[in-house]
Amino acid sequence: MSTYGDKQTLRAAKRQVAMVFDLNKCLGCQTCVVACKRQWTRDEGMEYMWWATVNTQPGKGTPRDWENMGGGFRDGVAQSGRLPTRPDFGDAWDFNYDEVFAGGKGSSAHLVPSGDPDWGPNWDEDQGGGQYPNSFYFYLPRICNHCTNPACLEACPRNAIYKRDEDGIVLINEERCRGYRFCMEACPYKKIYFNHVRQISQKCIFCFPRVEKGVAPACARQCPGRLRFVGYLDDETGPIHKLVHVWKVALPLHPEYGTQPNVYYVPPISPPRFGPDGRVDTSKPRIPTEYLRYLFGDAVDGALATLEAEMAKTKAGGRSEILDTLIVYEWKQLLGPFTRDPATVEPRKA
Amino acid sequence: MRCTGSPVPTATLLDPGAAAWSAVPAELIDLGGTPLANQPSGFVRSYDPARVGRVKRLEVRTTHADDTILFRLLWADDTRNLEVTDNDTFPDGCGILFPLADGDVPIQEMGGPGKPVNAWFWRADFEDRPRNVVAEGLGTTRATARSLVSARSRWEGGGWQVVLARPLAVPEQLGEAVQLAVGSSTKVGFAVWEGSNGERGGIKAFSREWRRLEIA
Repeated sequence: MSTYGDKQTLRAAKRQVAMVFDLNKCLGCQTCVVACKRQWTRDEGMEYMWWATVNTQPGKGTPRDWENMGGGFRDGVAQSGRLPTRPDFGDAWDFNYDEVFAGGKGSSAHLVPSGDPDWGPNWDEDQGGGQYPNSFYFYLPRICNHCTNPACLEACPRNAIYKRDEDGIVLINEERCRGYRFCMEACPYKKIYFNHVRQISQKCIFCFPRVEKGVAPACARQCPGRLRFVGYLDDETGPIHKLVHVWKVALPLHPEYGTQPNVYYVPPISPPRFGPDGRVDTSKPRIPTEYLRYLFGDAVDGALATLEAEMAKTKAGGRSEILDTLIVYEWKQLLGPFTRDPATVEPRKA
Repeated sequence: MRCTGSPVPTATLLDPGAAAWSAVPAELIDLGGTPLANQPSGFVRSYDPARVGRVKRLEVRTTHADDTILFRLLWADDTRNLEVTDNDTFPDGCGILFPLADGDVPIQEMGGPGKPVNAWFWRADFEDRPRNVVAEGLGTTRATARSLVSARSRWEGGGWQVVLARPLAVPEQLGEAVQLAVGSSTKVGFAVWEGSNGERGGIKAFSREWRRLEIA
């Protein structure tokens, strides 16, 4: 990596790792969130960081109202943004661990957060949208999108942010970072955090030390719903290339932000609505397609049509390669070339 | 700008409110927002230029005593931004810039390749330990391991008063800090960051041209 390299060099990558999240399989269990937390964000200054998040849609998300905070590009021009605050992220709550675990109060003391929090990283869980009996929600897992045209990389005046040549993972060089937070302002997905102890910006690193050893990122490896595909975007034999480029059923979140994310989503298929007479109305999906277009762009129509056609095919007794791929009969097919058991990797000596 | 000797000891002059400062001539310096066109960030270049450089004027006094040079910087600021309290807050700061090379060293770009500059960088959260910074162009600032710059600051009556002091000569920092001496002269520049305006890094108010500093 060039120390003061130009933006074009910092942005370049020979290959690109990517993920596809099948939203039809996400059960909102937060295991990915905790797997990431345990692996990466336990140090002082990282308490409020959740590099991997899962939020209920429709909802305000994490940080609160991030979709209205600006950033990204329009017609190739960087857009102004707003810095998400610690309260926007939900901050880190303090709990009365001492009282509960060492206070001698037995079962009469319960864990409660101090103060009176009015927001958290998963505060509006399961609220969703719509009116009974047509209420609806689904879960949206998010990590750093490791964009092809990262707004953070463009924003950093110190050229501290770069894409790794070998896999396109976007990293912040902590030696060069001065904590200016232009990256936080510029990232339209608001997936960058400021470490107040070290005075630097930090974010998801796509578990690059694991990836280098052939081990999948913690969020993907630990996902009980087995909905997180990992692999190289250009691997034409792998599921990611097929889902994104061949079948076009996996789409980036908010493509209009102009950063070309490398995390893709299979949009959620809805059950039908109930009509005013209480009967099933199959003419309209429960999740308004307009809302999915807002999240994934107009290409969502084609993706949903393909998925529905494939489902009809299997209902009629046929086979569907797309659905077989999404079902993932063999778990490790999710993980592309990163199937190694992390337990077989020698821990790095401190 | 002339820096003449003071009979008052350095320890006294370090106090921004010391009466002795009133005997030192003041120079008023107009500041302007940093030009955005050459910022090494497309995002920063898209900033509204009217938003950059909140502080418009700086009063500078300079003197030397006990082989130490002192600058007192004074500017109006009705918001006192002492530290980073949240992701969207920034501390106030100021800096003094010197060329580390002879010839045409650009002030607008904070030097350039092979044309280094030396900055004495004070920020309200540095606890009177200003950094000694070297740069060869925008985005290349590097704080050296050692800084012999000291400071005292106070915010009073709607403004900052900051005294920055350093031994005139710092032979242990050849190449990474400007070497000064009585009877010599150098070019000098100034900058102010207004924290409440989100000013940090290249977003600041600065003296747009070098001034000649004569140490007599």
